[in-house]
Order: sequence, then structure tokens, then C-alpha cells
Amino acid sequence: MQRKQRLTRSTAYFIPYTLWILLFVIAPVLLLIYQSFFNIDGQFTFANYQTYFASSTYLMMTVNSVWYAFLITLATLLISYPTAYLLNETKHPQLWLLLIIMPTWINLLLKAYAFIGIFSQAGIANQFLSFIGIGPKQLLFTNFSFIFVAAYIQIPFMVLPIYNSISELKPSYINASRDLGATNWQTFSRVIFPLTLPGVKAGIQAVFIPSLSLFMLTRLIGGNKVITLGTAIEEHFLTTMNWGMGSTIGVVLIVAMVIIMWLTGGRKPRSRKGLTK
Amino acid sequence: MKTRFKWRNLYLWLVFIILYAPIIFLIVYSFSQGTTMNNFHGFTWSHYQDLFADSRLIAIFLDTLLIALLSSLLATTIGTLGALGINNTTRPVTKSTLLALNNILMVSPDVIIGASFLIFFTALKIPLGFGSVLLSHIAFSIPIVVLMVLPKIQEMGTSLLDAAADLGANNWQLLSQVIVPYIMPGIFSGFFMALTYSLDDFAVTFFVTGNGFTTLSVEIYSRARQGINLEINALSGLMFLLALVLVIGYYFINQYSSQHRKAVRGRRG
Amino acid sequence: MAVNTQPIIRLTNVCKSYGDHQILKNINLELEAGKFYTLLGPSGCGKTTILRTIAGFTDATAGQVMFDGQVINDLPANQRQVNTVFQDYALFPHLNVAENVGFGLKLHKVAKAEIDQRVQQALALVQLADFGDREISEISGGQQQRVAIARALVMQPKVLLLDEPLSALDAKLRKDMQYELRDLQQRLGITFLFVTHDQEEALAMSDEIFVMNNGEILQGGTPVDIYDEPINHFVANFIGESNIIPGNMLQDYEVEFVGKRFECADAGMRPNEAVEIVLRPEDLDIVAADQGKLVVTVDSQLFRGNYFEIVAYDNDHNEWLVHSTNPADEGTPIGLTFDPQDIHVMRLHESEAAFDARLERYEDD
Repeated sequence: MQRKQRLTRSTAYFIPYTLWILLFVIAPVLLLIYQSFFNIDGQFTFANYQTYFASSTYLMMTVNSVWYAFLITLATLLISYPTAYLLNETKHPQLWLLLIIMPTWINLLLKAYAFIGIFSQAGIANQFLSFIGIGPKQLLFTNFSFIFVAAYIQIPFMVLPIYNSISELKPSYINASRDLGATNWQTFSRVIFPLTLPGVKAGIQAVFIPSLSLFMLTRLIGGNKVITLGTAIEEHFLTTMNWGMGSTIGVVLIVAMVIIMWLTGGRKPRSRKGLTK
Repeated sequence: MKTRFKWRNLYLWLVFIILYAPIIFLIVYSFSQGTTMNNFHGFTWSHYQDLFADSRLIAIFLDTLLIALLSSLLATTIGTLGALGINNTTRPVTKSTLLALNNILMVSPDVIIGASFLIFFTALKIPLGFGSVLLSHIAFSIPIVVLMVLPKIQEMGTSLLDAAADLGANNWQLLSQVIVPYIMPGIFSGFFMALTYSLDDFAVTFFVTGNGFTTLSVEIYSRARQGINLEINALSGLMFLLALVLVIGYYFINQYSSQHRKAVRGRRG
Repeated sequence: MAVNTQPIIRLTNVCKSYGDHQILKNINLELEAGKFYTLLGPSGCGKTTILRTIAGFTDATAGQVMFDGQVINDLPANQRQVNTVFQDYALFPHLNVAENVGFGLKLHKVAKAEIDQRVQQALALVQLADFGDREISEISGGQQQRVAIARALVMQPKVLLLDEPLSALDAKLRKDMQYELRDLQQRLGITFLFVTHDQEEALAMSDEIFVMNNGEILQGGTPVDIYDEPINHFVANFIGESNIIPGNMLQDYEVEFVGKRFECADAGMRPNEAVEIVLRPEDLDIVAADQGKLVVTVDSQLFRGNYFEIVAYDNDHNEWLVHSTNPADEGTPIGLTFDPQDIHVMRLHESEAAFDARLERYEDD
């Protein structure tokens, strides 16, 4: 008891962290919201929001951005779930996992740059397409290449949380399911998948939100054909210098993020019938 | 049974090939004569020679390292103290609020962090450059340090602290001789994560860097926008080596900490 | 007695090994329909592996697993007519109580109305009739245990396998569940195969016990048989408390230990064969030192509630454990008496078959 009192009395060590929260977590978000109510000349206005919600360009861009983020997330999930599942059955899962994570230690820009070479007109991908008789295609600066590269970059972030939830799955659940007569598929669809859903949700969170804002990929790989919310923000802040409009889109992105968090959040998966603890 | 097992391995191998092919591709062409990544034109070190002769790039590389090391050190310090503070909060509401605030920067998209920091620095009239980049890197590295250190502190439990206090340790001794040695693996993990966050960051830096100061990521971005330049491939080779060293270092620290745990448990048992 | 019923489960020469490590060594086991069996042994003795082999979670390396006269070695777990109650219950956390119990029926495409009815019956059977809507996280460990039993029983298995299901419960609840499981088994009339390391639990519930150690079945029999006539040192030590004293079989029905000759009920050994004597602490009576068959000196005692546990030593430094309703004085010599039939003589290395044959031969006199 006494020790606790002594420790809480000296809270000086907690000051830097508290300052960080105030200055770098709370203040910037408030400033961003504040800024969204100013036009390019520094006057207070609601015009940014009016423009945003009245303009089909902005709305289409938002829908597009969400749609591409969805496609990227879906592609990543379809590749990552089996990977995580098979990883768990290998003899040295930790080692394999390390190998999966390793590419994330290579700078994202370098990986994007690699694809500029791979997907270029005379690049290795087109050489392969010619070899199998399809003939060279325009690969770089297409929607496909944007989705492909984005999914490529995000795979490890999806595999990791799914693997964690699969490895935490008690083997007795699987035995119990088999014991009660479930086939392999039934065991997967009725036991394994529902129980690893938290990992899947965490993975979706980790992939979907960044996918809304991958402006460097839209520029380097997508050739500005795909404009994501992130691209628009970057453009408004660093090119047209219209910070107010950029902040407005930023607020929309934050709202989108909150919705995703809420949909995939850590709420109890089932609390129906009004039963609470 | 056996054939199915092969299919499984095949799938895993395929994923690995896809994950590593672009990286290997980059490095292979860093040794190619010529100027494109389309056909290998025979071995050369020339791109590495260009790289080491490029004093601008070397300076940027050193700046990037400096930012990474400084920001990780400071973030680790602040984050560790923060984790201790969070652990010491008694009211569950306060604790969960602090944790929620801590995680905001973890889940926010980079553009939001970059844009809001840019507004913040401008509002405070902090000049854009080395200082703003350093502050930003410290800021976005702190939460990961907290998340790495906090479980270690919680794992420690109170009986260890009570025992030390019972044996007459004062607060400072408690911190320096009991708590910090115990949570050291967590601190190391936090430091390494902060280091990778910093080295890996592009978007936030891109927003707050201004005109005079550049990090490697930003430099790669602007060069990549101009097209293929095999000097960047040579740079990838070096970065890959650096990443490898970091991964191996991280792996051994993890190994060490788990062995350390085992040893502790063994001694207890 | 003479009804020649086919065993519901029969294991013939079942072996299991991982690499060089042998977990099961030549297991032979027959379970009759409608009885309560227990596999008893210390942890790591292979008892759970036998259960898993029968359930189909592990394949035997060698030998035959038969169910109702059919070899089922290659039958996958989901097609076997046995069900398991798991040690950690393995209740699906994403399903509520009724959904857990109905899980297997739903897989078998049973009609919804019938599922509801059978789930309700099964829950009533384990006294959880009103708990169907509860989440698994909302019920206690004891209730989870019952749900796990209901989930297995609703499948109407011919054999129910129980893998240390009571080990996570506290002492009081455990006692209650022992009665309840026994009662359940007798009402349903199906075969229970129960795995435990707790000898009291095994003695209390079982029709028949198989005592295991190091991947082998050492002895099988009724609780009374195993308690009264353990085959060897391990079994005697593992089941109940025993004084195990080295001795010498002078001839049939006469044994020597602690330098004295005693009449006993055992026979069939070689003359002068080295043997071990088992005397249970509760079979020893304390008398005055000069009236005892043996004289020992009291070393220490503990009050155990309904008896005193007295530790004493004889002149050969053998330790004697005595249960007595009266306390003794520490440091003083006391006399011990016992009846000839309380002495149980064990040969040092006797197979279960030889042991059974010898008993058969001499007990019929």
C-alpha cells in the first residue's frame, strides 16, 4: 500500500508521455478539424464540406477509394488466410513467420520501385506474357498493377494477426468438432473460421485503412488513374496548397477509419438476446 | 495424405517466392551493366561505385540513420516511462482512455498523421526540416514502444516489486535494479520496432520535411518518379543488408529474452 | 457370467510411438457394453493416448482398434460412434450452451424441432434445463463441465470417453460430480471410459479399473480386487496408502518379514522366494508393545480428522504408516497386530496373466 502511494506521488516521469498525448495525438487531430473550416484565403467557411458533398468528383473519388481498398483487402485476405493456416501446420512456424515478416523491413518505396521495373513495357512480366503467347500488355499505370502491388505490400500485415489467432486456437476445439461428426470442411467453416474471426478483423483493420491512403503507390504504380483519399489529401496539402479542402478530406478519411474500426472492433462478437454479464 | 502435404508446401513456397521475387529482382539488377531492369547485361560493381561516389545520397543516408537512432532512443525513453505510468494508473477508465489515445497514431493512416503534423508545426511556427522530421518520428514511434513494453510490465506483477520494497529498495533502486532489468526485452523490442518505423516511414516525412531536408524514402520516391536508375538498385542491396542485420539482431534479442525467461523459470523451479 | 457378449471396444496389441519414444506398449483392452471403466495412472503414462486412439484423434502405430466387432483403425474420428468429454471441455466460445449441445445434431442434418427437443433433454439430464440461452463465458466451470457432457451424450454414443473431466473442478464439486457421473452412466446404460490420475476418483466410480504406468497396463480389475490384491509395488503404492516391506516366502501360506514368521493367505511362490509384503495402514491395530506381532517406535503423527496418521519405525528401519482412532505417544514403542488375510504378498516381477492364474489356482481352495 505504502509503496503504491509513494510511486503515484512522484508522477514527474509521466510528464513527457502526457505531453506527447496532448501535443501529438490530440492537438493535431483538433487542428485538422479546425483547419477544415477554412478556405484557401484563411477565412472561416463551411464551403469545403459543401464542395465535398456537392461534387460528384469528390464523391466518386471516395467511392472509388473505398472500392479499391475493399479489393485490395479482399485479395490480401484470400492469399493470407491459407498462408497463415498452413504456416501454423509447419514444423517451425516461428521461423516461417519471420520469413513472411522480413519483406516488411525493406522500404516500401523500394518495393514499389521494383514493380516499376517488373511491370514496365519490356519488363520481366511482359517478357513472361510474350513467352506464354499472350503478348506484351500495358501493365504499369493500370488499376490491376495498383491492386497487385498494394496487396503485395500488405500481405504480411494480414498474415500476422490471422496466424496469431490460428495458433491460439486450442487443438481440442478441432478434436471436439471432429468428435461430434464434423467433416474437415464443416470443422473449418463452423469452428475454425468463426474462432479466428478476431484475427481476420484485425487483419482487415491493418490493411483496409492504409489502403485508403496509399498515395505514393497511386503515383508510382497506378499512374494517377486511381485517386484515393490519400492522394487527394497529398495533392491539396503539397501541390495546390488548399489545406482547408485537404483537411476536409482528412476528416472524411478519419470518419471512414472510425467506421471501419467500429465494424471490425473488439466488441463481443455475440451479445444478442440482451444478455450481458 | 502425403500428396496433400506436398500441395500445402507448394502453396507456402509460392507465397514466399512472390514475396521475395521483387526484392531479389532489385538486387540482381544492381549488379547489371546497362541502365534498365529488363535484361541482365553482365556483372558490374559500377552502380555501387556510383552510389558511394554520390555524396548527396551518402549524406541523406547518414541523416536518415541519425533520425532513426535519435528518434528511437527518445521514443523508447518516453514510451517506457509512459508504459510505467499507464501501468500505475489505478482507475480502469483512465487506463483504457490512455490506451485508446496511445493507439490513435497506430491506426491512423500516414497521410492523416503527416497532414495534421504539418498543420501543427506550421501553427507553432516550427520550421520544417530536421527538427520537424525528428519530432514526427519520435511521435509516431512512441505508441509501438508502449505496446511492446506494457505487457512486460504487466507480466512482472506486483509481488516482485513488493518483495524488492520489502528488502528495502527505494523508488529509484526499484526502477533501476528491478523494473528496468526485468522489462529490458520489451524495451529492446520497442526500440527495434521504433527503428524500423523510422527507417520505413515515407508518407509522414514527405509531409513535414520541407525543402531543405530529405530522408532516403523521400529521395527514393523522387528518383523513382523519374524512372529507372540502377543506383537505386544498389541502394536496395545495401538497405536489404541493413534490414537483414536488424532482423537477425531482433531475432537474437527475442531468443535471448525467451531463454532468459526459461532460465528464470528454471531457477524458480 | 457365462454370457458370451462381444466387447464394445477391443484393443489388440496397440502400440504408439513418436520416433524412438514409445507411448503405448502392446496394449490389450476389452470393454463390455454398459460398464464404467477407468484408466488410472500418473501423468504421461499413456492413458490419454489410449482415449485418443479410441476417439480417432491419433492413429495407433501398430495393433487393432475394434468397435462392436469392426476394425476402426482407419475410420476417421467424425465417423466413430464414440464421443468425448475433453479435459478443457473444448466448448465452442462462439456458440451458446444450446448451440454447443446441438452442434453435432446440426451437422447430421437432424430436423430443427428434433434438435431442440433432444438438446433440451440432454440439458435436463445434466440439470441445466434453463441454461440453453447462456453464453459459455457466462457459466461456471462446473456448469461448463455439464454442458460438455450433455454435448457428447446428445449424440447417443455407445461409448463415452471422458478425459480427466473433473481435474479442473474444486474438491467439493468434484465429489458431487463423481456421484452424478456414476448415476448418469447407470441410468443411460452406456459404456463410460474415464481417464484420471486420481485413485480415489477411480475407486469411487468404476466397475473396473486399468492401472497404467509407462505406456503399459499393469493391472485390470474391480476396485476391490486392485485395492486388496495389487500386482506389484507400483500399483500398491499408487492405489491407496500402503506399507510395502521386503520379505521372504518360506512356503505356501507362510511368509517372513522383519525377522518374524507370519501366517498369510498367499501361495504359489517358490520356497524362500524374495517377495514384497503389503499391509494397509487401516488394517493395522495398535496394542501394547508386549502384545504386538510387531514392535515399532512412534516417530510422528498427524491428526487427519477421522483418524490419526502415525509414522513409526521397526528395528530394520522400515517405515510403518498406521491409521488409528487413538493418538500415540511419540518416541514410545507400540505393538502392531493384523490378521493373516490382511497380509498381501507380491512377487517381484510377475505378469498380470501369471498373477491371475496363480490367484485362480489357490483361491478356489
